[in-house]
Amino acid sequence: MRYVKITNEKIYDFLERLKNYGKLYAPVKISDKFYDRKEIEDVREIAFEYIRTLMPAKKYFVSPTEKMFEIDIEKGEYKETLENIEPFVIFGMHACEIVGLRILDGVYLDKYPDIYYKRKRDAGIIVGLSCLPDEYCFCNLTRTDFVDVGFDLFLHELPDGYLVRVGSPNGHKIVDENTDLFEEVDKNDIDAFRAFEEKRQEMFKWEGSFDNMRYILELTMEDEVWDEEVEKCFGCGNCTNTCPTCRCYDVQDIPDIDGKKAKRIRFWDSCQFRGHGLVAGGHNFRGTKRDRFLNRYICKNAYFYGLGTSYCVGCGNCTYFCPANIDYLKNLMKIRSMTEVKNG
Amino acid sequence: MDNIYSLYKCRVLRVYDLTDDVKLFLFRFENPDIAESWTFIPGQFVQLDIPGLGEVPISICSSPMRKGFFELCIKKIGRVTDKIHELKPGDFVGVRGPYGNGFPITEFEDNDLLLIAAGIGMAPLRSVFMYALDNRWKFGNITVINSAKFGKTLLFKKELEAMRDMAEAENIRIIQTVTRDPDWPGRVGRAQEHIKYANTKPEDAYVCVCGPPQIYNDVFQTLIKNSYDPRRIYVTLERRMKCGVGKCGHCIAGSSTFLKYICVDGPVFGYYDIISTPGLI
Amino acid sequence: MSLKIGVHGLTSCYGCQLKMASVKEIINIARNFDIKYWYMISSKGEIEHVDIAFVEGSVTTKEDERELKIIRENADILVAVGSCAIHGGVQGILFGEEYEKAFKEVYGDKKIEYEAEISHPIKNFVEVDYNLPGCPPEEDEIIYYLATFALGSYPEEKDYPVCSECRRNGYPCVLIEKNDCCLGPLTVAGCNARCLKYGISCIGCRGALEEIAWFDSLAKTFKEKNMGEEYVKSRMEIFGKQYEKMEEMLKKVFENED
Repeated sequence: MRYVKITNEKIYDFLERLKNYGKLYAPVKISDKFYDRKEIEDVREIAFEYIRTLMPAKKYFVSPTEKMFEIDIEKGEYKETLENIEPFVIFGMHACEIVGLRILDGVYLDKYPDIYYKRKRDAGIIVGLSCLPDEYCFCNLTRTDFVDVGFDLFLHELPDGYLVRVGSPNGHKIVDENTDLFEEVDKNDIDAFRAFEEKRQEMFKWEGSFDNMRYILELTMEDEVWDEEVEKCFGCGNCTNTCPTCRCYDVQDIPDIDGKKAKRIRFWDSCQFRGHGLVAGGHNFRGTKRDRFLNRYICKNAYFYGLGTSYCVGCGNCTYFCPANIDYLKNLMKIRSMTEVKNG
Repeated sequence: MDNIYSLYKCRVLRVYDLTDDVKLFLFRFENPDIAESWTFIPGQFVQLDIPGLGEVPISICSSPMRKGFFELCIKKIGRVTDKIHELKPGDFVGVRGPYGNGFPITEFEDNDLLLIAAGIGMAPLRSVFMYALDNRWKFGNITVINSAKFGKTLLFKKELEAMRDMAEAENIRIIQTVTRDPDWPGRVGRAQEHIKYANTKPEDAYVCVCGPPQIYNDVFQTLIKNSYDPRRIYVTLERRMKCGVGKCGHCIAGSSTFLKYICVDGPVFGYYDIISTPGLI
Repeated sequence: MSLKIGVHGLTSCYGCQLKMASVKEIINIARNFDIKYWYMISSKGEIEHVDIAFVEGSVTTKEDERELKIIRENADILVAVGSCAIHGGVQGILFGEEYEKAFKEVYGDKKIEYEAEISHPIKNFVEVDYNLPGCPPEEDEIIYYLATFALGSYPEEKDYPVCSECRRNGYPCVLIEKNDCCLGPLTVAGCNARCLKYGISCIGCRGALEEIAWFDSLAKTFKEKNMGEEYVKSRMEIFGKQYEKMEEMLKKVFENED
């Protein structure tokens, strides 16, 4: 892998230059507690310290709402609506979200590739950013705390700048076209990188492995331990909407008032909603709140063969953004204990 | 790149009433190239679209040997199917597919075939049956058990009845049975009660089952008691797919060790998948 | 052949009709539908047989009830429009003694021509085919409902909460951030999280999600955020008084002191 360094003095120049490669999206503070990614005008408003965003980066690839077709009802003709997609750069994705995006790739770009997703994926440049975990993070358990692929550039914090890993031809191109911003990595930088990684590992609150979680979960689905948590749940779907790998969508046709034309739209759906498991005739395969509540645990803990990880990337979003204070990791710990790190 | 959600225009050629609320539709793709090249495996389904209302997944019920045409058997049961029932010959719909794994039909060859349908379960199984008839020499003895609550709700009742006597000479047995109809002149009782009358040799037969979820356990038990090989029992499942191609997540089922999209990993599953996976049926 | 429609108002602020009459596509509604009765836009017309009758307002008088029954008898499809028609509206908040008291306060000993009653959703008197929620309903939904009828079909009603639209729009969650008494998790979506856009918590004007409104779970969270029973109840009652489940669920949470 190619490594270069960028110093703190040049980081805003770098961000400014990223705009040459497309619209720049980066995390900014949007309210007292929350960050979200927005299009960046002034690079100095970028929040490097952010840990999680209200909407995961999936919003740039799987739009919360998007038009798929324009339909001529009378002629029975469908015209795909491929909006004009301009190149864009997402700055500051953490490792967990990059893995999340690769999981979405596995689903959306399988043997039935989804063109709406593909076009956005092709247009997007991913610049990763290292992070330090908070109490909600457990990517060390899901083994998604470090990524080898899935980014164009990845910035690792150093005391005086960033160590940059170059992860793709596009990444190389950006480095090559901006050599004035980058310098060689020296021994001090390597030591600092190592120190950062060690410090980071020590900050994780829990240690253990998620590897057999899916078996334990399957064996304890009928347990009473779930009852109290199910009782707490509102079924609001915040957990799935803020999950970097949740990807369920619903489709609806919206006819015009004259009944001649319609548009077909799709929008984020959630397995926490009653309609998700409903079939024609009224039977519901996830008819109770318990069914729906557990469905998310089942789905997130299933094994994604493409990457050899679970569908859960350990970001902690579902817990952080749960208005009912349901703690995903603690619930899993009830059925399979994890060890608390002493200084956690 | 092709858009996997694009629909192809299909013309309705014929409409038959099968029961009060089930109709059989014969379709042909408008584009002659697609009509000629389009094929499928019995057990697969299509997404059928009414422009302005949306899509529904429907299993194909004809034989893939009938090039250029396909049939769908559709129950009037919701917003889109209500509208489908208003279709007349000459009308257009949108179709995409075929989707799903289908039955392992080539594995079935050289063996006996037992098809067990309850309710509207005959729809996907008819495709297997028609395929087997079109390739009669490839299969051993065949039995179809078609069951419903009433005589008037038996799907394909007339079609199966008409071929019954002739079929017997070809080692094909057709058993139609009802559970709640005192006026029905034929056999009565649930599908599984008639497994013992099948002409299929249990050690040599593949079994396909389709019906409402609550019938499966009893059918499985009877099959196994009658020495049918559990490894050769297949069922086809139903969900409301929005995409049909493993994206939208509505049909995700199973458990954390066996999480499946019914639309791409199914809708056909083996007996052992079913019994080891909560939530599939 | 265009569908015949009628738009009727019972006891309400007439805001739903006003909304319907002021949608951008009103001209197209007029072109594509045969409007047989709509008092707000034309004083012509009598109640006659229509394909679809839209009814706003709740039943608070015998006159309302009588009119509603005539509307129902003359309509193939009846759509309850807005909060009042669907669940009694804000005026449905008064029950029993509270109602008596309020009535006295407003009318004193004056004699009034009609007999006023507690506000009821129209489903208590006639069969309702579809609900078009909102206070008032959203423009896109009004068009969607009409358009699906025009296609010879019917609308799919939403059965997911406002939270979903709030997240899809990326609005900060006021329940988490400000500990506000937001009813988004209970409330039928469709408004595109209109109030949350401005950081104002949801008061549930579109009504609770039938069957799956977890008043108890939400109330438990409110309780943990140190909100009192009276306050929580008063918020939930604004548009939710008619839900029998609510009282019971709240009781469970607040009487069960830990």
